[in-house]
Amino acid sequence: MAVKDTIVARLAEWGLVLNKNEIEQLVPAYENLLRWQSVLESMMQSKKLVEGMTAPGSEPILIHAIERKGGAR
Amino acid sequence: MNASAQKLAFASISTVAESVRRKELSPVELVRASLDRIEAFDLKLNSFYTLFRDDVLAAARDAEAEIARGHYRGPLHGIPIGIKDIYECGPTTCGSKSLKDYVAAEDCMAVHKLKQAGALIVGKNATYEFAYGFPTTKSYFKPARNPWNLAYDAGGSSSGSGSSVSAGLVYASMGSCTGGSIRWPAQCCGIVGLKATYGRVSRAGVYPLAWSLDHTGPLARTVKDAALMLQGCAGYDPADPASANVPVPDFTARLGQPIKAMRIGLMRSVYEDNCDPKILGPFNVALGEFEKLGARIVDVPSITLTQMQAIEWPALFAETAAIHIDNVRHHGADYNPHAKLFVAYGLLISGACYLMAQRARAQVRDQLLEALARDVDVLILPTVGFPVSPVLDDSPGLSIVAEDFSVYTAIFNFTGFPAIQVPCGFDPDGLPVGLQIAGRPFDEATICQVAHAYEQATPWHDKHPSL
Repeated sequence: MAVKDTIVARLAEWGLVLNKNEIEQLVPAYENLLRWQSVLESMMQSKKLVEGMTAPGSEPILIHAIERKGGAR
Repeated sequence: MNASAQKLAFASISTVAESVRRKELSPVELVRASLDRIEAFDLKLNSFYTLFRDDVLAAARDAEAEIARGHYRGPLHGIPIGIKDIYECGPTTCGSKSLKDYVAAEDCMAVHKLKQAGALIVGKNATYEFAYGFPTTKSYFKPARNPWNLAYDAGGSSSGSGSSVSAGLVYASMGSCTGGSIRWPAQCCGIVGLKATYGRVSRAGVYPLAWSLDHTGPLARTVKDAALMLQGCAGYDPADPASANVPVPDFTARLGQPIKAMRIGLMRSVYEDNCDPKILGPFNVALGEFEKLGARIVDVPSITLTQMQAIEWPALFAETAAIHIDNVRHHGADYNPHAKLFVAYGLLISGACYLMAQRARAQVRDQLLEALARDVDVLILPTVGFPVSPVLDDSPGLSIVAEDFSVYTAIFNFTGFPAIQVPCGFDPDGLPVGLQIAGRPFDEATICQVAHAYEQATPWHDKHPSL
């Protein structure tokens, strides 16, 4: 499926219809998003379990859980 | 505008407050002077959407009477300030045609606290639409202009806050910050912007942009003024789920203390291969100034700009879309064109991508916390990597997610660390350049100490635009 079609289909799931010009503008931004996804994947810390299998080495940040680790001076 | 009026307009809060405390200067005089300057200059600047002319004069008279009776509340008592128009306080448009007629039923907690501290709310400052949609000359709400050059943008999203404080219309203004919206306009306008630790200042009643990244905080002309403003609005608020129930220290306590032997962590990997030389030049000179003050510049391993963007933007836009989708369905035509596009973009981000961003965010935060616990006292970066932009006539589309949109501020939004921007010079076009200092969570006093030491050793805080 072409990128444009993917975008249109995904937005339709949310009931959002954009015009052709708006969709055109989303295409390079969507391609950037795909690049960022691969950047994020490469950043993930993981523990190797057996060949080809890992477990996550970190958890998602919790929205309301900032820590005082490091402490105030 | 005569010289004494000019001097009063650009005086610091601490200077003016002392005169108010001694009853040598009346809050009524201060408010009248502020309203006069707004009348004289704001048609050019467009930094205010709403003025509370009658209400603020009445409040000033009350303050004057209260102080005359010997009831002085502290350094914000009788000081005219502005409030970004996404804080609930009277008419609250969020810079959007869709809310042009909305009037808040009550003040949000941050405004309530500032009023309790005696601050006088002059009006509501211009903002990017819902704190993210760049206004253009074709927008319903026009862009706030940069006092250093009216053809240029004031930065955003706390654009009117930056513009009005820089121009001496008010002494400070409250902004909000999800990816850099306090520090970026502060940089563009040559002033101080202080984003406190996530949870330090209540966001209840402030229109959200992205819950896990939203912060509030002041813009002011000096570090001490920013610290005094933070003092006036910080504190636990059960109405904000992110509010931290921690003690509020004296944020000015360390101002004036030397920074000799302090270790300042330089995060080169974020900016060194992408920062515009117009920014890099003044920033490198500033690093030398810190060394002259006795601090040590220490390299700190960090992430790249691309990694920063890969964490910030998916997290921000997914949350933004979750907030705005229903409004866009009903009022999409009233949104600035690209503000609507941003919401659409957020809908394209998968749940897995969002969670990966949150995982990477936790990793980066933990690495930097380790560095702050072990190797350095504070962190330093340029505020953004590109010069101030001209006011836009047309929608910038989704340029914010382009590779060269180098806002280095975002890393301290997704880590939640406190960060302060101070001016560090001017680019060859005469527009301000700034740097940011970040520190340990809930240790705003130390970043203020370091920023203040630099500020006092350099001339930038004494430079003001001529209008």
